[in-house]
Amino acid sequence: MEGRARRGLPGHEENRVPVLDVRNLKVSYTSSGPQILKGIDFSVDDSDFCAVIGPSGAGKSTLIRCVNRLVEPTEGDIVLFGQNVRALRGGELRHLRRRIGMIFQEFNLVNRMSVMDNVLSGRLGYTGAFRSFFKAFPREDIDRALHLLERVGLQDHVDKRADALSGGQRQRVGIARALMQKPEILLLDEPTSALDPKISRDVMGLIRELADEFKVPVLCNIHDVQLALETCNRIIGMQDGYKKFDGPSKGMRKQDLDEIYAMEVL
Amino acid sequence: MSVAAPAVSEHGFDAWVAHKRGRRINNWLLVAAALAVLGWCFWDTIMVDTDWARMGGALGIGGTLERFLWIDWSLVPHLIVPALETLMMATLGTLLGCVLSLPVAWFGAANVTPSKYFFYPVGRFLMVLSRSIHEIIWALLFVGAVGLGALPGILAVAMRSIGFISKITAEAIENIDPKPVEAIRAVGGNQFQVMYYGIVPQILPVIIGTIIFEWDINIRRSAIMGLVGAGGLGLVFFRQMAMFNYGGVTLVVLAVLVLIAIGEVVSHYARKAVI
Repeated sequence: MEGRARRGLPGHEENRVPVLDVRNLKVSYTSSGPQILKGIDFSVDDSDFCAVIGPSGAGKSTLIRCVNRLVEPTEGDIVLFGQNVRALRGGELRHLRRRIGMIFQEFNLVNRMSVMDNVLSGRLGYTGAFRSFFKAFPREDIDRALHLLERVGLQDHVDKRADALSGGQRQRVGIARALMQKPEILLLDEPTSALDPKISRDVMGLIRELADEFKVPVLCNIHDVQLALETCNRIIGMQDGYKKFDGPSKGMRKQDLDEIYAMEVL
Repeated sequence: MSVAAPAVSEHGFDAWVAHKRGRRINNWLLVAAALAVLGWCFWDTIMVDTDWARMGGALGIGGTLERFLWIDWSLVPHLIVPALETLMMATLGTLLGCVLSLPVAWFGAANVTPSKYFFYPVGRFLMVLSRSIHEIIWALLFVGAVGLGALPGILAVAMRSIGFISKITAEAIENIDPKPVEAIRAVGGNQFQVMYYGIVPQILPVIIGTIIFEWDINIRRSAIMGLVGAGGLGLVFFRQMAMFNYGGVTLVVLAVLVLIAIGEVVSHYARKAVI
């Protein structure tokens, strides 16, 4: 979409095309337990690279997992690609999940499987039982997997086991797996917190580059505020289940940050 | 039973000694009671129940045992087929046991069971049932059901294998790392794909190791199946015993020993190759 080119540039607000719209989202894991999200509203546009920042325990991971219903919301509405996510059942939910790429904090690879099979598993939502049983993926999937592995710089590690790779390399496998889905939105759950600062920047840069190339909007939990400000065009600040800040990263001031992290300063 | 310790610091030396004396007497009474029970068991089961006259003194015992030493080597050619039959019984029984263990493990693993209130208890019950019935009892049941031969032995070995294989598998499933499972769910994988891609690769080494171990045990089990008519070396053992050919009995015991040694070596290397 054309809006992509204007990502992060002034004036893009006029051309907002929301992909994801979240209203009054509330989550408690048990009926009597504490509320993790206490009524969150936000939307993500098709040209957004949106960061969710906030102290540990603010509900960032819960928020992002509600979008593809890895966590069940208790209240509120989530509209993704014009569909009400909370109303979907079984097969419908799986069809929606195929369109959502997800990259995880601890990579979530199957360690005993090869790099290639891990990447190919991104296509499982489109693969029938017979093909998945024999790991016989169609030719175009294999071509795409090889292309993506080259794109993330792992062309020499295709046949290695996932646990033979370093942290940064594993996250690159995770990125390739998510892109195998031809996702229409990417959810990143702390993609760099298991990596060292240098590798974190490389990985974030790569994700940003690929998201631009494939024109995918991104919703990203991130711990490292500096990295968020460098990479993302929009910031959502969370604290203790509430949204405290929502705006372009360019306009973020020190006092906004101080407010989000107020509880941690204690 | 715990005796509350007196507050020794308040009552001093005398109270402490009295307390210790009381405990010492208690201990002696317990030991005396245990010895009395042991003595009664010994008297009732060994002294009263044994037919001492038939034993015929030290010479008689030695003479009987000596008859086992004259190994009947002429029987060797007749042992090859039963030995192979025993090995096959163990192998086929283990394979059948594996197949039958799949649904049991699926039902009995708390995190993947189709229903916590129905299938989970059913799975757990089948695990206990399989293990609490001895292989000879299983064999007797199947000899009654399908007649003599190797088939009831295979079925008995399979039934007896389910418990161990499915219990270890279910426990491995319960202990998996949930993160890859989350990833497969997130790409839109269905229940089968989540299991096949997210769970199976994680538990495979444990399962294969368990199956090899179970096969090793099943060779021992198959060797005695013949005692109740379920084929293999056990049947030869039974016949030699019935013919009072003690040398033949010893040879069968040696053959079982060789078979078990082979199983031990094979499973050692197979497990090494897998894990």
